[in-house]
Amino acid sequence: MQIYLPIAELPVSILTILAMGVAVGFLSGMFGIGGGFLMTPLLIFLGIPPAVAVGTQTTQVVASSVTGALAHFARKSIDFKMGGVLLLGGIAGSVSGIYIFKLLAAVGQIDLAISVIYVLFLSVIGAMMMVESVQAIRAARGGGSAPKRKHHSWIHGLPFKVRFRRSKLYISVIPPILVGYFVGTLSAIMGVGGGFIMIPAMIYLLRMPTNVVIGTSFFQIVFVAALTGVMHSLENQAVDIVLGFLLVVGSVIGAQYGVRAAEKMPAEQLRALLAAILLLIGMRLGYDLVSTPPDLYSVIEAEPQS
Amino acid sequence: MMRRCVTAFIALLFFAAPARADQLVTDLSEHQIAIRSNFTGTEILLFGAVEAARPGSRALNRDIVVVVQGPVRPLTVRRKEQMAAIWVNHDSVTYPSVPGYYAIASTRPLEVTATPETLKALRIGIENIDPGMPTARAIDGTLQILPPDEERAFWKALIRNKRREGLYINVPGGVTFLGQTLFRATVKIPANVPVGLYTAKVFLLQEGEVVDTISSPLYIDKRGAERFLYRMAHQDPLLYGMIAVLVAAFAGWLASAVMSRR
Repeated sequence: MQIYLPIAELPVSILTILAMGVAVGFLSGMFGIGGGFLMTPLLIFLGIPPAVAVGTQTTQVVASSVTGALAHFARKSIDFKMGGVLLLGGIAGSVSGIYIFKLLAAVGQIDLAISVIYVLFLSVIGAMMMVESVQAIRAARGGGSAPKRKHHSWIHGLPFKVRFRRSKLYISVIPPILVGYFVGTLSAIMGVGGGFIMIPAMIYLLRMPTNVVIGTSFFQIVFVAALTGVMHSLENQAVDIVLGFLLVVGSVIGAQYGVRAAEKMPAEQLRALLAAILLLIGMRLGYDLVSTPPDLYSVIEAEPQS
Repeated sequence: MMRRCVTAFIALLFFAAPARADQLVTDLSEHQIAIRSNFTGTEILLFGAVEAARPGSRALNRDIVVVVQGPVRPLTVRRKEQMAAIWVNHDSVTYPSVPGYYAIASTRPLEVTATPETLKALRIGIENIDPGMPTARAIDGTLQILPPDEERAFWKALIRNKRREGLYINVPGGVTFLGQTLFRATVKIPANVPVGLYTAKVFLLQEGEVVDTISSPLYIDKRGAERFLYRMAHQDPLLYGMIAVLVAAFAGWLASAVMSRR
């Protein structure tokens, strides 16, 4: 069954979109991520214009992060203070991300920018996670201890120190604001919540305890994604409510099964699996960047010259 | 002055009357196409008749050409070039008025219908579309002048892309005569068709010369919920964005409420 999308201006199969939503929702429930980095390339592959894919994707991120944040709120695993500081940076980042997006679209390099950023982050973070989880799996098998984390001394030297009770941290607010800003910018350009960047940054850079990381990330993403969604519709008219609704319905259903599946799998293997998925998508997009495109010419609607 | 006018008028009557050529009568099956949520493309039927100047005369070398053209918009064609192993959008050419849709159907292939000059003058055929004065830009946005053959490559690429999307259609033999005077043509309207005012032009050619033309409007627009949402997204984007986000947040909350109840 087909439905015509009012903003993307093309018909799509309802079942395809729902199935994509379910699949991405399943993974997002399983790994505790928004799943935007999977959905955006899929939507673009379906023929949805990149701007609409990115803009619409934010609604799905809002839905899945609200679900995630509420679940973590019930378990009291959200550091609201840290989340608030991250959010401060995130809001500024989201606003500047929207303008960078507009600028890149105007000079015709937005698709390239999205692809390059994806390849960069997916491969770096995928590789880092892979190494870490393989070490953890080995350590668990060999009975040896996992490698100790090094402490970043320069972070402790920064001013404006604040005590984050829930995270048991006493650090400067500058690194979290910068992390929030950076992830906010990327999330606006890439149409993702940014959990897959935020979570490693919180663990490795800010040294937050793992049990509050996911909840805090979700809490922060709700607001950044909501702002990004409103901004995308305000600046680019690129949010398709019909497409967004279908994606949300699919992912909400998928997420429930994902959460249940995750309970049956050991955490290290789960992370290794996620790392493998990240690496695969990164390689796929990287291949597209360097392989000769089937048609060197592309046609887009020109900006009305004023 | 007056006398000259009258003479001219009489002369016109005198010469026009015997030369009165065959005439067209045509209509479209629909003058409005509504894009609703179940729109997956459609077909319009164009039908008509040739009213012969001398009834009963057999027409030889008579051709009908149907051109359906969509609203024009400025379009940019970009060419990728490899820079440091990565394919990057490099040069671009912007055409100010490119029809978003162009379908042409004819009784016989265009090449045998009329001379290339006639077709070009009448803008019949995909290759003869007039997109206006192109402006070429380099990667950094500065204006540049491309050699004509390079510029042609951009134009050809535009046509190629539009054909691939099913928006530029050429159907030689798409117009069929039913007997001596009646003819019909079906024109495909794909789902990704741009909205706006279309014109369906019918040309009657005799021995390669245009004898009569007739043009009728066709309006393609979003209707119902599609129209409502599209309008809201463009006229009230703040409210639209907030609704989109709130609906999503509500769905997220609903999901967690359902989950925790189990």
